Amino acid sequence: MPETSKKEGHSSDQRYEVFNREFMPHIDSMYNFAFRLTMDEDDAHDLVQDTYLKAFRFINSFEVGTNAKAWLFRILKNSFINDYRKKSKEPSKVDYQEVETTYNSEDTPDSAHTVDLRADAVQDLIGDEVANALNALPVDFRTVIILCDIEGFTYEEMAKILDIPIGTVRSRLHRARNLLKEKLKSYAGSMGYDI
Amino acid sequence: MNTPNINPVESDCGGKAMKHTCEHHEECMKIIQLILDGEATEVEKDHFRNNIDICLPCIKSLELEKCIKDSLCNKIEKRPCPEKLVALIKEKITSSEE
Repeated sequence: MPETSKKEGHSSDQRYEVFNREFMPHIDSMYNFAFRLTMDEDDAHDLVQDTYLKAFRFINSFEVGTNAKAWLFRILKNSFINDYRKKSKEPSKVDYQEVETTYNSEDTPDSAHTVDLRADAVQDLIGDEVANALNALPVDFRTVIILCDIEGFTYEEMAKILDIPIGTVRSRLHRARNLLKEKLKSYAGSMGYDI
Repeated sequence: MNTPNINPVESDCGGKAMKHTCEHHEECMKIIQLILDGEATEVEKDHFRNNIDICLPCIKSLELEKCIKDSLCNKIEKRPCPEKLVALIKEKITSSEE
């Protein structure tokens, strides 16, 4: 992200005005995204703070009228990868490349991952159970589901946030949902729901 | 007494044959997700409209995908950002300008 000289951009008052009007309304979504990535309150706190300070420092690179939420999510995602992922407290993390390679393997066609699960069984699950199933996914699969289903980003916005082609967004999301269904099925079964 | 249709492949549905198996279900699943995400092309929407009323596995999958999407959006707790963090961020950007 190129840093623009303050002299070439907004005045100090304008920077505060843009920051408060464009960036602050998204702070709850940002905090939730950070918490779901790190699964730790302190790390989420630090990640949001770092992201907003970076956003302010580089505010002249933000084009007013464009999608501030996607811009902020992109900064947060990059900060997470660069600064937090290595020291994440997430237990038993699965390497994304390993998972994606497995799912892309010709020996494991997509049809092998069709999960037999009834909508009623999912309806019976409470929020914590759905959250646990989501949290059990490798972080890159978890991320696409959060961005699409919880935050409502379009595939094009997700492609920009994640720096990947739209085709990869589609395939990663599809695989993530298959994995999530497996987790939900496992939760529903362990709760004694009729799956 | 009516005898239920036990043909595992097709049954009658208002004059149309209801399919009980889907020979291209994985592709249909991808299209169902694109439809629910609002990302389907016109061709994909046409495929969906032509099949969804007559394919039982696809009807069930549509219900499941909808239910999962709704659960993710509405059931999972959304935490407000702590007020002390909001205050700290504002304080830090103010001091960075000084």
